[in-house]
Amino acid sequence: MENVLEVKGLSKKYSKVLAVDNVSFEIGKGEIFALIGPNGAGKTTTIRMISTLLTPTSGDATVAGASITQAPQKVRENITYLPDEAGAYKNMTGLAYLKFMGGLFSTDPREIDRYIERAKEINQLGDRLKDKISTYSRGMARKLLLSRAVMTRPQLAILDEPTSGLDVLNAIEIRKTIKKLSHEEGMSFLLSSHNMLEIEYVSDRVGIIAKGHLMVTGRIDELKERYNAPNLEEVFERVVKENEIL
Amino acid sequence: MKFFNLLRKELKELINAQMIASLAMIVVIFMVFGNVMSSTISEAVKSESSVTLSDCDDTEFTRSLLKKLEENNVTVRKIDTSADGDDYVSILRKNDLKSIIIIPRGFTEALDSGEKPELITATEMKSAALVDSISDTSSGGIDKIKDILSDEIAKRSGITDEELENIDSPLTLTENTVISGKSAKISTDAIIGRVMMLNEILPVIIFVLIVMTSQSLMGAISNEKIDKTLETLLSAPVSRVSILTAKMLAATIAAILNAVVTMVAFSAFMAKAAIDISKDAPDALNNAAVNAQNMIPDDVSGNLSGMLTAQGAMRELGLSLTPADYLLVGIEMFVTIMICLCISLILGALVTDAKQSQTILLPLMMGVMVPYFISIFADVNSLPPVVRGLVYAIPFTHTFSAIPNLMFGHTGLFIGGLIYQVIFLAACMYFALKIFNSDKILTMSLNFGKKKKKKGAPAEE
Repeated sequence: MENVLEVKGLSKKYSKVLAVDNVSFEIGKGEIFALIGPNGAGKTTTIRMISTLLTPTSGDATVAGASITQAPQKVRENITYLPDEAGAYKNMTGLAYLKFMGGLFSTDPREIDRYIERAKEINQLGDRLKDKISTYSRGMARKLLLSRAVMTRPQLAILDEPTSGLDVLNAIEIRKTIKKLSHEEGMSFLLSSHNMLEIEYVSDRVGIIAKGHLMVTGRIDELKERYNAPNLEEVFERVVKENEIL
Repeated sequence: MKFFNLLRKELKELINAQMIASLAMIVVIFMVFGNVMSSTISEAVKSESSVTLSDCDDTEFTRSLLKKLEENNVTVRKIDTSADGDDYVSILRKNDLKSIIIIPRGFTEALDSGEKPELITATEMKSAALVDSISDTSSGGIDKIKDILSDEIAKRSGITDEELENIDSPLTLTENTVISGKSAKISTDAIIGRVMMLNEILPVIIFVLIVMTSQSLMGAISNEKIDKTLETLLSAPVSRVSILTAKMLAATIAAILNAVVTMVAFSAFMAKAAIDISKDAPDALNNAAVNAQNMIPDDVSGNLSGMLTAQGAMRELGLSLTPADYLLVGIEMFVTIMICLCISLILGALVTDAKQSQTILLPLMMGVMVPYFISIFADVNSLPPVVRGLVYAIPFTHTFSAIPNLMFGHTGLFIGGLIYQVIFLAACMYFALKIFNSDKILTMSLNFGKKKKKKGAPAEE
């Protein structure tokens, strides 16, 4: 399978703290890869480095062949990033927000219109898109942001805790959207989440990260078999405990 | 272009209905205040020729005194207060008066016996406001009565009018002021008043500019950080310099809009107050200045009279600003705005929550307040060397002293200040760009009083 993302020995040090240590993994085209780990494990730092927001202390990653350290602008043309608990500009309407964000990815008005039409199809917010974002519920805002993240058909969509703070129905809808975009359109996803159930449902492969180290990567079935665990939650527990012993 | 997309968004956020409403409020407030001031001053000017008087003595001399007052173009409204005694509260209330002059019984008798006759006035003061004190209507009438009495005493003593004038004013004072090798017939008080008037406009504009620009940009950065929209923006295919430039340009446009509206409204207010004095004054322009001096308390009379008479002399002394001076002041203002923008950007990057965003501008505000107050109360150049050095180290000091320095020919000080500001700006810009182009824009924070667990590590994950 052709790789959209290749992470090679990525590390990040904040003063004396090594937040991410020599992390390597890859994501194939149309694959959903999830980084799972406890709080402070290094998930967000890894994601921020791949999104070109933070500069790695060492190592590199390539997105569609472009290096995050050598060609960050090129990387940004091929990714979209949805941060954990991200907000939108509250004084804008949903439509104005989509138009503004579309304008950062293209200068062609017809292309921007196509982005907006696609976002409308995905978020299903209808006439509410004409209302100010400040009037949206949390679920509506998250749908708007997710549609913004995928409307440009990026090679890699990076979603940090995509369903955090959402009710069950909204979370299910968002998971379905991610799966559909991956399987039907071949879009690749890098997710991070605390929700094991969600990851087990939505991901093709996972990487378990703790204390900045990527402990293990693999398909969920393979990992269950390797750790003789009935579900991903127990796989996660065993991997983290193993790491503590080490 | 992507940059204009960013700029449009920033402008829409900054120049919103709230800002337009506040600008409209500024214009309305200045206009209303200007009208109140002008009508009060007009009233005060007119009131010199109109007094309310009670002649309790009612002798031939007091009647002739009232007649002479009327001959001197003073409209005398006569009322009888003899029944009220010294109950001045009821006298004023009953007659709906703000002020009254009372000639008590025994006035003529005292004059005849060579004693100083007593004249009583009662004035109601509703507040300590300047406008209230300006409208004391008795003072003009009293001056006229004094003149008439002086004439009467002089006549009785056989002193001629010319001799009396010499006694009243034993010398003719011709005041000359020399500035930068030029001389003009004008008192230093009038010049100080005039320069102060000019200096009052600029600090207001600078203050509005600094507050508006700083708050706009700091808010633009901190809100994006708090709402996490900054991360989305920084991960989009647009350069960080474009994002930064769009924010700074939008904040500058909004600040200039604020400054222009404030300046126009303030200038209109100042012009209205000045024009109405000259228009309503009974005599020529010079007399108007003297009248204003009589009616308005000492602390402001210098300003108003100076404003009316000093114009030509100021020009003669080279105290008027040339177009080149205005250009230099404009450059200084621009550099000041840019310094504010860079400092605000750095401060905005430190904010991690809404509470911090409300207080973080305090150091910048203090840096503006200190030179502002010093420029009002003292001449920075006359301060002790150490204090002077400290005050000059604040870049905004040079903005506040720009006009006086240019007016009094201290070009070296002005240029030195401008060079210092440019160096300061370059340093601020370097740090601001360094922050925005590095991880620090996302990882920097203020953590006063918090336990340092992981030095340098961001709080999340």
